[in-house]
Amino acid sequence: MTDDEPIIRAAGITKRFGDFAAVDDVSLRVERGSIFAFLGANGSGKSTTIRMLIGLLTPSAGTIVVDGIDVIRTPRRVRDHIGYMGQRVSLYQGLTLRENVEFYAGLYGLSAVQVDERWGGLRERFDLGDAEREKPEDLPAGVRQRAGLALSTLHRPRVLFLDEPTAGVDVHNRALFWELIQEESDSGVTVFVTTHFLEEADYCDRISFIDAGRLVADAAPAELRRRFSPGYRVAVASASPADAAHAETLLRQRGVPVERTAPQVLVVSASEFDERVQAVLGEIAAALPSVRVSVQQPEMTDVFRELMRAAADRTGKAAA
Amino acid sequence: MSRVPGHAERGDAGAPAIRLRRLVKHYGRRTALCGIDLAVTGPQIVGVVGPDGAGKTTLLRSLAGLLAVEADEADVLGVDLRGDVTRLKEMLGYVPQVFSLYPELTVHENLSVVARLHMLDRRELERRAMPVLERTGLAPFVDRQAGKLSGGMKQKLAVTCALLPNPRILILDEPTAGVDVVARDQIWAILAERKDQVLILISTSYLEEVAACDRLVYLDEGRVVAVGSPGELCAAVPLELYRAWGDDPRAIARAARALPYVDGARATGRFARIEVWRATSPGATHVLRELGALRAAGVRLAEALPIDLESMLLALSRAGAARGSRAA
Repeated sequence: MTDDEPIIRAAGITKRFGDFAAVDDVSLRVERGSIFAFLGANGSGKSTTIRMLIGLLTPSAGTIVVDGIDVIRTPRRVRDHIGYMGQRVSLYQGLTLRENVEFYAGLYGLSAVQVDERWGGLRERFDLGDAEREKPEDLPAGVRQRAGLALSTLHRPRVLFLDEPTAGVDVHNRALFWELIQEESDSGVTVFVTTHFLEEADYCDRISFIDAGRLVADAAPAELRRRFSPGYRVAVASASPADAAHAETLLRQRGVPVERTAPQVLVVSASEFDERVQAVLGEIAAALPSVRVSVQQPEMTDVFRELMRAAADRTGKAAA
Repeated sequence: MSRVPGHAERGDAGAPAIRLRRLVKHYGRRTALCGIDLAVTGPQIVGVVGPDGAGKTTLLRSLAGLLAVEADEADVLGVDLRGDVTRLKEMLGYVPQVFSLYPELTVHENLSVVARLHMLDRRELERRAMPVLERTGLAPFVDRQAGKLSGGMKQKLAVTCALLPNPRILILDEPTAGVDVVARDQIWAILAERKDQVLILISTSYLEEVAACDRLVYLDEGRVVAVGSPGELCAAVPLELYRAWGDDPRAIARAARALPYVDGARATGRFARIEVWRATSPGATHVLRELGALRAAGVRLAEALPIDLESMLLALSRAGAARGSRAA
């Protein structure tokens, strides 16, 4: 196994319950160290897929390899390689957070010294010092989720599966949570995550989207914006008509298509707000301080509305 | 505008549907609500927002008449929350966080139970429920057991049931947590359609839903900290917001944090969001120039943005944390 081998490789996985295919011929490749978003509507087959990937459910067909382990043949062996955090955080009520740590450390066979060292670090980094003596049911949702994430990484897994980790969490704790996820990813851990906060998809390197059991998209966020939105709209405005005219000339010279919507307002439309357009606008803003640039980025929520509409159209056509 | 804490008035006056003065709720030794002042008039959508543990659920449950509370005044639709609330329950719909319908009954049977409780005959039930079921995509599933519906469909059914008796107040506690965007849109379409007849109180963590509320009540540590429309609350935050684009937003955020006047910087997918307190800002032109000059961090373009809901909510929660640490 080499380092550029994807850490998760699922090919043609299918899960039938009677006549119903909850997951239908889904293939996934997740690169090592990346953050991979797995999105879809309620009941689309997301959770079933995750349960197969972590060895809790045997597919009706297909192959799954996670961190070099054949999950279908040896589902128990994959558990030391992965961390999992479900929609309902798997913390035991009635036990304090510290007692939960001891319990999980026991499951993973960590020695007392190892626990002290590992948990000491996590407690600090995840800001859980005050929560340690509390029972999970007495903790605010955001802290509980953070504790759940800390526990799922206790045994230093190579892949983290996070199923709606931020559901019902406030905006402040969501931001903190994503900083922690990015840190995990920076340290080489692969993160496989689901969410209904679609703006969070922008934190991810790749997004795959499942609808009615089938994969309907698998691309980087920028690519999804290109395909499923009207694109970026950038207004370039100046109180000085001379500067506005100058900016227009510079944009045209650099081959950026521009439209004048008002005497002092220019609009650049771009399907991808790529580095070249960014750089040209940055140079203009630096050269002409009176010029203000404002970028309208298509909202991920709208991208997914469009994606789901497109998927529904396809399903409708297929059925007809 | 109503900058006075606790006032969510609306143009069309009349007696407030909700009037609370110094409402307090204790759970054992813990105080979940410590003196809520709130007046809400007329049909509209009121978002109850604030950090986890701020008391949102406790406030909504109190307003639904489900908790014994203490207060100087606690009036909802003319019913005193401190006394017998039977009459309130006839005028109020409530959807709690956890699914609370009958999982073994079908969609239709669940609706029938609600109809019978409120003495609606079969025709009236069909007349009221069918259009909603059609529009939310639940119609093909009327014979499915509620427990076997997907998360989004369960919530659509819960909202449909709560609206069936035509309540004057509808209280929804995070009805869309864990619900997909299409189901959320459908739930909000129902709410938008009814908001001229019903006073809707809703808690939510989704920013686009916060934006769709007419008024927001921001709670922190059991107190009402701010009340106003989303636009008013954003305008009241004395912050400036900037965005810097480049390939490595996390490096940009780190570099921006090193500027002396920057209060906070956060990386998202393609840019870093940078916040500067207005009081200590050297001015937008200066900030934009310095952000644009962070070439080593890979900044290509910096822009100034109006304060959005994300910054507003984060600023209010930071202010709350600062209050907390001063008190400690």
